[in-house]
Amino acid sequence: MGLIPPAPRRPHLAAEELQHLKWLLGGLLTLISLGAVFYLDLEALMLTGVAALCTLAAMVRPRLLARVPRLLHTLAFPLVTAFFIGDVWLRSEVLPAMVRLCILLLLYRNITYRQRRDELQLIVLGLFLVMVAGVLSVSPTFAVQLLAFAACALGLLLAITLAELQLTPAARAPVPPGETPMWARRAEFGHLIRRMRAVLDWRIAALGAVLFAGVVGMSALLFLSIPRFQLENSMFLERFIEKKAKTGFSETIRFGDVTEIQQDTSVALSVDVSNVRRIPASPYWRMLVLDSYQNGVFRASAEQRRNEFDPERAGTIAPGGLRPRRGEATYWTFYLEAGVSRFLPLAGAFQTLTFQEAQHFRVAPRLAMVALREEPVTMVAYRVEDFEMGQALPDTRFANRWSARGEQGTRAAEPLVRLALSDADQAALGEVIVEATGGAKVVPADFVRRVGEWLRQRHPYSLKPSIPAGDGDPLVRWLRSRESGHCELFAGSMVLLARSAGLPARVVTGFRGGSWNGYSNNFTIRNSDAHGWAEVFDETAGAWIRADPLDSGLSEAAQNLHGEAAVASRLDRSWKARVDSLRVFWYRRIVSFDQRAQAETLRGVKDATRSVTQELRARIGSLFERAKTWLVAPWDLRRAFGSAAAMVGAGLTTWWLIVRGPALWRRLSFRRGAGREDPVRREAGRWLGRLAETEPEPDHAGVRQELQRLRFGPRASWTEPEAVFRRARKTCRAARPRQRPGRRRTTITRP
Amino acid sequence: MSDFVPVAQITEAAQRLNRLRANMRVSIRGKDDVIDEVLVCLVAGGHLLIEDLPGVGKTTLAYSLARSMDCTFSRVQFTSDLLPGDVTGVAIYDDTLKEFVFKKGPVFAHIVLADEINRATPKTQSALLEVMDRARVTVDGESHAVGAPFMVFATQNPVDFEGTFPLPESQMDRFLMRLRMGYPEPDDEREILRNARGGYDTIAVNPVVTRGDILALQALAPQVFVEDSVLEFILRIVTATRTDTEFRAGVSVRAGVALRMAAQARALLRNRDFVLPEDVAELVVPVFSHRLGLVRQSSDGLEERRAVSAALKRIVASIPSPA
Repeated sequence: MGLIPPAPRRPHLAAEELQHLKWLLGGLLTLISLGAVFYLDLEALMLTGVAALCTLAAMVRPRLLARVPRLLHTLAFPLVTAFFIGDVWLRSEVLPAMVRLCILLLLYRNITYRQRRDELQLIVLGLFLVMVAGVLSVSPTFAVQLLAFAACALGLLLAITLAELQLTPAARAPVPPGETPMWARRAEFGHLIRRMRAVLDWRIAALGAVLFAGVVGMSALLFLSIPRFQLENSMFLERFIEKKAKTGFSETIRFGDVTEIQQDTSVALSVDVSNVRRIPASPYWRMLVLDSYQNGVFRASAEQRRNEFDPERAGTIAPGGLRPRRGEATYWTFYLEAGVSRFLPLAGAFQTLTFQEAQHFRVAPRLAMVALREEPVTMVAYRVEDFEMGQALPDTRFANRWSARGEQGTRAAEPLVRLALSDADQAALGEVIVEATGGAKVVPADFVRRVGEWLRQRHPYSLKPSIPAGDGDPLVRWLRSRESGHCELFAGSMVLLARSAGLPARVVTGFRGGSWNGYSNNFTIRNSDAHGWAEVFDETAGAWIRADPLDSGLSEAAQNLHGEAAVASRLDRSWKARVDSLRVFWYRRIVSFDQRAQAETLRGVKDATRSVTQELRARIGSLFERAKTWLVAPWDLRRAFGSAAAMVGAGLTTWWLIVRGPALWRRLSFRRGAGREDPVRREAGRWLGRLAETEPEPDHAGVRQELQRLRFGPRASWTEPEAVFRRARKTCRAARPRQRPGRRRTTITRP
Repeated sequence: MSDFVPVAQITEAAQRLNRLRANMRVSIRGKDDVIDEVLVCLVAGGHLLIEDLPGVGKTTLAYSLARSMDCTFSRVQFTSDLLPGDVTGVAIYDDTLKEFVFKKGPVFAHIVLADEINRATPKTQSALLEVMDRARVTVDGESHAVGAPFMVFATQNPVDFEGTFPLPESQMDRFLMRLRMGYPEPDDEREILRNARGGYDTIAVNPVVTRGDILALQALAPQVFVEDSVLEFILRIVTATRTDTEFRAGVSVRAGVALRMAAQARALLRNRDFVLPEDVAELVVPVFSHRLGLVRQSSDGLEERRAVSAALKRIVASIPSPA
């Protein structure tokens, strides 16, 4: 066509627009990576914030970058190197220093105009940050971040490739400091959005989405089928990060500690139960036993730590005190969130506890406690085989000691009865006991019930307690007042009163209750479920019985609720439960994904596929069968007419689809952003382009003219477009492709 | 659609133009593209500036066009002492009628050949240009219509600048196109050598179309359909001349309209009722080149014209044509 260059088939983004898009995608990628670090407990908050702000500013106004002083570009490399060396030298932690270095480099890349190589570097740096954050935190947000990152990186790579095709060598050259490239000078959001709308066909967008979903799906399948290895144990990353606790239970409680945790409604613990019938109405998740009391503070005594805990072990299996029982065991799988405590929540004495990953731990079988060496910084998963879920915790060793002391008459010296209180306080406690029990000598169970009732009648429950000022023990002061109090005060008072009455008693902290997530079918226990209660020793039973002064809401019938009824009473189907179920899915299937779970999942996928196939096959078979019986059945006039009409209808529909289908499809793909563009005109343009690629033949002229009329002619003069397109298709198929004039090789011949 | 022209009308127009073209070919040899461009200019109702050396057939071209369509032809040789009245005509006192009577000048013809227009003074030039613009002559408050169709062939010598008054750019804008005749091919020239007669008066050409036919063609051309993407193509070319660093200034709005009109006429010539991007691309150089000046002016007129054409071709090649 002489002067006219070969025409592009559909609108494209110009090189400058692609560069702008590339810049925005790079910025977004940086922000996603920085967001990943934000959740990491690293000392890089300030740096991350600065980097994020600079990136945002550069995204919004790319031409600002020309104002960055030239000196910064000159000094960038020495400064970053010095920063890294200094960081490693001063803090002697390699990984955090590397993360900070990475953030610095990202920052620098976002305040300079990037070349292709820099864009690729950006992707690698971002990936490093996202991966480090993911491995260290193992949180469900990691999945979201990685998905967003992958989508963004794919988009960026596409933009880079497209830009490479269009950019002139001059535009590829690095931008000298202090200068603004043309694209940044002309960058405008509204324009880019309008152009994107014009360029983005819904079919392209849909294709992109399908491809991305395909990539994600393939990755998921790969993840399911590759052999598992322990990520954290095989990677060195965790050792580089110093362990640090956020909140949580510790071996001492001062009044107020537990309620601080109660303010926090985030999930603390998720529990899977293999047998729903074993779920009690009101489960207590014990974590810590505090046996020593002094001046308003309960703490775990040194003796307890020394005597009750077995020596530290390393590994995955922790034997509990409980003997194996007959019948099928119930498995309880716990997912304890990071930063809750190093003491594992347990529902009572247990048979075996299996960690998902090897841990350093100590077991106290008689206290039904397991303590890790350090507070975990990631989620800890463990499975417990069979709990003794009753209200009583048998302790034969203490029972023996207690009865021996009874024979020797040294019961008052027992640490679990001893009270370091003044005489006045002791007397006050005695008065309360007389008031609560009526002065009669009662068995521990009755004592607990009566004192509990007395406490509840005298003190209202409140999360904002007040302890009256005065002399003596603060707990006794509260006990004698009528002030409101929280669970710790109630539990502490119960212990003081029991000890005063000569009964061994201790405070236990942990969680009470929880909700049953109706979506993922597991217990969800939040930090706000934190609770403290007492345990009093019952000599006749030889066991510690639970004495929760605040546990009165449940009637006798409710107390005996078990299994489904208990579940139903705690069912949670709120949107929050839906979000939590995702977290549980993440833990069950992705994070704590061992070989057994893997095999289970694979089997599940296989079963599902097979059942769907079988179902389909059965349905198709039955359809055929029905068609056959229908055909075989005797024919009458009505049936004959009916089937003839149906066949004609089907034929007409097919014909209509063949004739009108392409036009319908074109109307569907009509782009709004492209404005005036008509689908028939576009199709005609496409065929003209194809025809131009073929070797010209004289008989093409007719088709070409018809196509030109459709493309550029007045609409009123159009003849049937579909027929023209059919002819064009036929012509293009028959035609030979145009021979492009190749570069001639000149051969030098010797004379 | 209102702008839909019946096919029969288009075919008839194309046939007339074909007859005209064939007729002109008899006297103008080997210059088919020039004939086509002259016809485009005629149908679009514009005026033509021919720049070339003397004796390459400019007058013959104009004369044979006039003769082919039953039109009057006149020729004005522009010199520095030519007065506006010599071109437009003057009012003289008629003694018998006792009043002023307008004596029509040579401009009252259908085809006017203004030879070496740059030799006349600016005053005379502008008198002619005013007639070109309005197709009327006003003398003593009385206006007189010139012929319809009315078309001016102005010629210029691009090499010989001694003692000339070059047309300012604003006046160049009045011409629809600028053409170069160029030397004929050797074969054609041999044929000319063999058959050449004396002056153009001896050219025996019979009229093949009537004046009314030409007027009908001129009325039909604006109805040729221009699709939006083709208009957009024109607009992008026009914009590109304005942003290109090589030109002193871009083309005017009038130039854009002229390109559209010329493209419509070309489509009609090609027996089409719609404009192709090809029509536009082919006409960019003849329609735009005389309206543009380079930033780095060249002392050599031919050199400058070549550079402008090359820049325009580059611009057209850089803009993707609608598909």
